[in-house]
Amino acid sequence: MAKILIVEDEKAINDLVKFNLELVGHECKQVFDGESGLTEALKFKYDLIILDVMLPEYSGFEIMEHIEGTPVIFVTAKSAQQDKIKGFRLGADDYITKPFNIVELVERVKAVLRRTKAYINYFEFDDIRVEFDTRRVYKNGEEISLKPREFDLLEVLINNRNLALSREKLLRLVWEYDFEGDTRTVDVHIQRIRKKLEIFDRIQTVYKTGYRFEI
Amino acid sequence: MKMRFWQKTYIFTLVLFLVCLNVGILSLTVYTYRKNVEATETAVIAEQYYVAMSFERDYDYLTETSAYSSPSLLMQSFGVYYADKGLFLAFKENESTIYSSFTNEYEINKNTLLHTDFEGKRHIVISSEICEGKYDMIFAKNVEFLDSEFRSLMFTYGLTSIGVSVLLAILLYFILKKLSVPLEKLRKTTEVIESGDFSVTAEEKGSDEFTLLARSFNAMLAKINEQMAALEREAENNMIEAERKQMLVDNMAHELRTPLTSIHGYAEFIEKANTTEERRLIAAKYIVSESERLQKISQILLDGAFIRENEIDMDDIDLGTIITDVSEKLQMRAEKAGVEIVCDALPAFIKGNETLLSMLFYNLTENAIKACSSGGRVKLSCLGNEAIIEDNGKGMTKEQLLHITEPFYRTDKSRSRAEGGAGLGLALCKQIIQTHGAEMRFESQIEKGTKIFITFTRRQ
Repeated sequence: MAKILIVEDEKAINDLVKFNLELVGHECKQVFDGESGLTEALKFKYDLIILDVMLPEYSGFEIMEHIEGTPVIFVTAKSAQQDKIKGFRLGADDYITKPFNIVELVERVKAVLRRTKAYINYFEFDDIRVEFDTRRVYKNGEEISLKPREFDLLEVLINNRNLALSREKLLRLVWEYDFEGDTRTVDVHIQRIRKKLEIFDRIQTVYKTGYRFEI
Repeated sequence: MKMRFWQKTYIFTLVLFLVCLNVGILSLTVYTYRKNVEATETAVIAEQYYVAMSFERDYDYLTETSAYSSPSLLMQSFGVYYADKGLFLAFKENESTIYSSFTNEYEINKNTLLHTDFEGKRHIVISSEICEGKYDMIFAKNVEFLDSEFRSLMFTYGLTSIGVSVLLAILLYFILKKLSVPLEKLRKTTEVIESGDFSVTAEEKGSDEFTLLARSFNAMLAKINEQMAALEREAENNMIEAERKQMLVDNMAHELRTPLTSIHGYAEFIEKANTTEERRLIAAKYIVSESERLQKISQILLDGAFIRENEIDMDDIDLGTIITDVSEKLQMRAEKAGVEIVCDALPAFIKGNETLLSMLFYNLTENAIKACSSGGRVKLSCLGNEAIIEDNGKGMTKEQLLHITEPFYRTDKSRSRAEGGAGLGLALCKQIIQTHGAEMRFESQIEKGTKIFITFTRRQ
């Protein structure tokens, strides 16, 4: 989906970011210090750079000053307000502080990509085509009518594909508020999507967790 | 009304002086006048005596030569004669006036002298018995010059008094003003200080009380400045200390968050991701290794806290044995890294805690091995109360040497992490050194190696 450069000296964190971004279909390149990060960023065209602030050789801020045109998300343990402000002033598109969770990372990456890059406005799997800008879904070339919430839910599942999303998380992402009460709303909508698109295997129920769109 | 000291002094001095001056001059004037009056009286008495004597002589002569001559005629001739000279005469016999050149009848007791006014003019009047008590003669002389003399004396006195007063007022004003100049300067200095400028000093010229005051004042000011400087230094130190603590907290947060992020992230990954078995295994391994790292950090922090909080038992121990043990323990590790480890330790007894010192030398030797590349050499030695750990590894810069004992500081961040360090080892070592009252000194050169000297105080 997008070409992403990960500059992070901590191998564990670097792998963690890579594994998760690859799950949702991005292509990742890993580097472990500031110097190779800068070289890599200047040499190749990336859609997004995930940048640590505390790095050997050059700091994330220093690298940031030399990069133009490529969106950047800072990932760091430095949560101090000044650092955030400094990051944004240098033109960072977003700022994630450790510890972060996977869905947060994926959602922020998606949000930045949607803002900065000609967004891929459709997604195809099996015999189904989902168009995000027109909000239409086709199966075998025939349009399937989905209600707005059903479409939103499908979009979130596709964007976070291969990741299990809890019912609460889905409520928050789709209905956009903290829904304390009935998580059965999610179940009902999932059932309807499965039925309308006849995709019973693609949307998996993950035991004790939630739902996962697998591909 | 607010008056300055010098103004008060001026007014009181002036008033006091003027009172004294005027009382003085006035007394003098009155005394002079009295003397004048006395002298005049004496002269008048003499004159009266002369007139009386002349009259008696003429009277005796007349009564001897002609029995029928009238004394009243003699009296008249005397009266007329002396009236031209400004003298009045009157003669009485048994209280009845025989002759008088006075314009009005005048009564006066026998044998008296008094001053009185005739027609608005001052006269001295004397009455006396003459001719063996047969007659009373009243004699009056114009002495109005005494009044004019008194007026002129008073005038002189007034003029002198005013003149001296004015002169004194002016001179005193300038003298006091000049004397109070140092005080005024001191006051201005205090005003400057009040406005917050403590860099000024009072002028110390001369040797009077004001100079002494200025000197004391300057001494006080110096003391205050000193105190303020001390306070400022302290505040600055506190700031530096606060910054250092903030940095420590930041570093600690970073060190703890990194493994936590990994553990949390990979656990979430295993729980939620639709991924391969291989990746799940990698994730699980990361969880294990990062937990170990967290464990290690917390262990070091706990060790540090333990050393800080507890009384450490100090025994007589052999430094040589400890160093030899450490080198043996790390032999395998060194061989793996291709580093030769040499130990040259003679027995050296010191007071110390065996566990802590083992920890210290283990840490330092481990660091030395890490600093070496394959083919390197680490040498441990001990002589007397000094232990030396020497390596021929990559060395450190002066800047790095300054920071190495700070918690969470790393000379080479990525490499140290990859080897599982937390940047706490040397901070702990420093603490152990401090607990033992020992000294640790580093000598290092880039690409040449590092030498660490540890000096213990001798066993008592």
